[in-house]
Amino acid sequence: MPKIRIRELTKDIEKEAKILCNTMLGDLEKAKRPVLEAVKCTLDNSFYSSKVGFLTAGDKVVKTELNVSSVQKMARTIFMLEVMLGNLKSGAVNTKRELYYISKGLVRSNAFNKPLDFDDQPESDAIIDFICDMLEVYREEMNCFANDRGGQTYSKNLVVTETLSDGTTANVDLGSLGTSPFQPKNKPQQFRLKPKKGKIEFCLIIESEGTANTLVANGMHLRHSCIIMGAQGVPSNGVRGWCKTIQDQLKIPMYFYGDLDAYTLQNIFRTLKAGSAASLIRNSDFSAPDVKFLGVLPEDVKKYDLMCYSVNEKDVAENRSLKKAKDALENDPFFQDKKNRRLAEILHWLVREKKRCEQQAVFSVDPKDPQILEKVIVEKIKSGSYV
Amino acid sequence: MSKITSSSTAEYFAKNLQQVGFSSPSKAVLTTLKEAVDNSLDACEENEILPDIEISIQKMGPGASRNTDLVQIIVEDNGPGLEADDLAKVFGEYLASSKFGRGRCSRGQQGIGISAATTWAQLTNASGVRVLSKTKGMRKAVSAIIDVDIKANRGVVKNKESVEWDKPHGLRVDFRIDGRIVLNGDGGLLTYLEGTTLVNPHMSITYKLVDQDEHVVPRVASNVPDIPPATLPHPHTMKLGEFMTHAGLFGKISLENFLKKGFSRISDATLKELSKKGVPKAMFSKNLTAISEADYKKIYQALHEVELVAPSTRSVLTVGEEGLSKSIQRLGEVDFFSVVTRRPRICDFKPVVVEVAIARFRDRPSENDNQVQLLRFANRVPLQFDKGACAITRSVESVNWRSYGLNQPKDSLPIGPYVFAVSVTSPFIKFKNASKETIDGSEDLVEEIRRSLMQAGQKMSRHIRAEDKAADLERKIQHIEKFGPILVAGLARIVGAPKARETKAEEGLKKLLGRDASSAEAELDKATSQLKQLKDKERQKFGMEDEEAEAPPAEEGRPQEEAAAELEAVEEAPKGTTKRATKKTAGTTKKAAGTTKRK
Repeated sequence: MPKIRIRELTKDIEKEAKILCNTMLGDLEKAKRPVLEAVKCTLDNSFYSSKVGFLTAGDKVVKTELNVSSVQKMARTIFMLEVMLGNLKSGAVNTKRELYYISKGLVRSNAFNKPLDFDDQPESDAIIDFICDMLEVYREEMNCFANDRGGQTYSKNLVVTETLSDGTTANVDLGSLGTSPFQPKNKPQQFRLKPKKGKIEFCLIIESEGTANTLVANGMHLRHSCIIMGAQGVPSNGVRGWCKTIQDQLKIPMYFYGDLDAYTLQNIFRTLKAGSAASLIRNSDFSAPDVKFLGVLPEDVKKYDLMCYSVNEKDVAENRSLKKAKDALENDPFFQDKKNRRLAEILHWLVREKKRCEQQAVFSVDPKDPQILEKVIVEKIKSGSYV
Repeated sequence: MSKITSSSTAEYFAKNLQQVGFSSPSKAVLTTLKEAVDNSLDACEENEILPDIEISIQKMGPGASRNTDLVQIIVEDNGPGLEADDLAKVFGEYLASSKFGRGRCSRGQQGIGISAATTWAQLTNASGVRVLSKTKGMRKAVSAIIDVDIKANRGVVKNKESVEWDKPHGLRVDFRIDGRIVLNGDGGLLTYLEGTTLVNPHMSITYKLVDQDEHVVPRVASNVPDIPPATLPHPHTMKLGEFMTHAGLFGKISLENFLKKGFSRISDATLKELSKKGVPKAMFSKNLTAISEADYKKIYQALHEVELVAPSTRSVLTVGEEGLSKSIQRLGEVDFFSVVTRRPRICDFKPVVVEVAIARFRDRPSENDNQVQLLRFANRVPLQFDKGACAITRSVESVNWRSYGLNQPKDSLPIGPYVFAVSVTSPFIKFKNASKETIDGSEDLVEEIRRSLMQAGQKMSRHIRAEDKAADLERKIQHIEKFGPILVAGLARIVGAPKARETKAEEGLKKLLGRDASSAEAELDKATSQLKQLKDKERQKFGMEDEEAEAPPAEEGRPQEEAAAELEAVEEAPKGTTKRATKKTAGTTKKAAGTTKRK
């Protein structure tokens, strides 16, 4: 079975893993403590440059030196690495959950491995993530796929060509799907995209999948040569990879439309545009730096007299979100970058005003017009009212 | 219109015995035992006698009431005994007490308990209490049955006779009541006896409960606690009504004399201050009987506006850390313990002392996920009911025990196989009910108890830390044995290494992890040594026997030989009759022959 590729990987994973294990074994022979190193995937090791367009890792690494406290983690790491290398060799593909059960089965069949047994899946997931960070490869490159769903996508003018495992291709004309969405799974980077005819004007990513459905039901994708996608809240790797693919292949303007609140700006929009600190090693292939924040903007609140909610500081979640916004202004390199000054200003506004406005508030502008959101969005795109 | 009648105190209590601890057959047995033991201990302490208490509780057959047994409760002491003429008053009359409102830390206060026990015996078994008493001055002991004349609130003596008793002095009471015997649990007889044993290190006690073996618990302190002198009430602790009633006790004396003699902390300077606050100078020389209610109110209000020195703390009595440390060993095989006796403090203008003992016993089967056993004491009397409402419980719950290494659900008692004993002593303890089952604590008192608990918790945490380190070492050694070979085997398989490399790597791994285990061992040694230092310090402080040494160490400030000789004398002599104790008893029995009303 051909390996599903997300990028052109220059390293030979199997060879690298063997070198690593050989070094560890050599250290042990010399009664020297072997050390495993992985990129430190935290905000304090994240750097952002608008030229690069996504968060990149600094020099900091997480070192796991062998001692009595870490021997369990190391033994589990080597055990899981062996399983994953086996998959690479045979071409087998698994999800994280499947790997959890595979490891349980291996433990059950060999009493020697019993101490390695995972109590629950998060334990084995953490080991899988550690292996990927250590080898600086994507989980997918280790033949481990999560059940990541790309965003539900609609367009009357987009054709997607997929190369299947047997080498044949499948063409999907999104215009022929009616109101059914096209939803790529976790390998969107291998699709080839092209417009059916003419040009696709823009791609609109809506935070709420329900609102994206509403726009489609009202025919926005029929009136405009565009792509409409529902992000389903915090974007999964599937959504992120899909946006990156659209941006790179179609080279069209990308707009994000969502709530005006700190959570949306930091956790949803920033992840879509520049990736996250937790996924530093995969941001280059899983972020779409060209995406613009279409709204809701603070000036929209004023212009359209949108209904806002006061942020209730007694509400734990809302208060935490405000605190995170303040923290982001101080520590997040994305919001500290000069090019993103206007986004930082929005965060300042949110912290100062202690207000939030939902993306659906636009429907209050003209309650009798079902196309009001489409009209506002198009007007904003035309007038350049985005950040 | 119905006729208004008045009832005697005895009549009131006979109808409301539940208010004083006789609300169920099982509580009746416990309360009867408690009242008898409290009285014995108070009498012994008053007369500087080291108490030897003997208790027997047996079932004699079915009780007259449904679902009860006829239970015989015998409590015998070596106290001063009672004169024949006092028996009726002591056992048959309510509110006849030598202790009422004296401001001393005695167990009994009001003179209700033992009369209520007699009433219960009389109501359920148609016979009062059988008493055998002998004072030092009597050649023969007096035996009698005391009943309560409920209408008249007085005792009635029946079957009085002189009998031979080989004790030089003492008292034996024999109650036969309808009740039910509950041995274990918060309200159990054994819990009461354990609690009493803990806070009375100077007491030796022998008990035989139903078909259980006889238990003999020797004393571990050879000194009778010094009962501090009584203290006068502090004016700021009284309400207006109490103030006026208090004045009524003094008869025809001047206001100045009443204020100076009837209260603590009132001086000439206070009287001057009172004048400034509007009490006319002429009022001070006025007779109390000539002062109007309105004037009483003015004086009371002025008194509360004047700043007064807090009352003296000399009136409170403590068991002491040494006594508690020794006494706690009598409850079982102690794994570890920590004790704290705080200095007396003033809480709400009342002197209070709080003592805490925390222990874990090796021989007590206790689930790790059960709450700790909390023993509460007020003036050295165990409190066994209505735990949730007590200030002590509130204080224990308010401490963050997690920081001392114990598990604790939010706002609850901590979890673990521990016994927490908290004792509050004060001449003016405020209870929530007449049966004295829960302490009504102010914020001041709760805070004081809390501090004591935290102090004890700090000491306890050293033990727990040492245990944690030991567990850590064990865990690390297990880790080495478990994961080391798997790691090496995995690496060798991936690399395709020959067996020789694998063996060499295993050896290297053992060396590495052995070093880690050694460092954990060093940490354990450090924690153990810190713990040992604490134990040595306490042993030195309390003059306790070293666990490993055979000879007892010298007490502070005394030659070792002398301390050892005295300890030997205490151990060999018959109970309660060491030379020292007999001497003291002999010198003080005259006092005992007086009219000490025992509650």
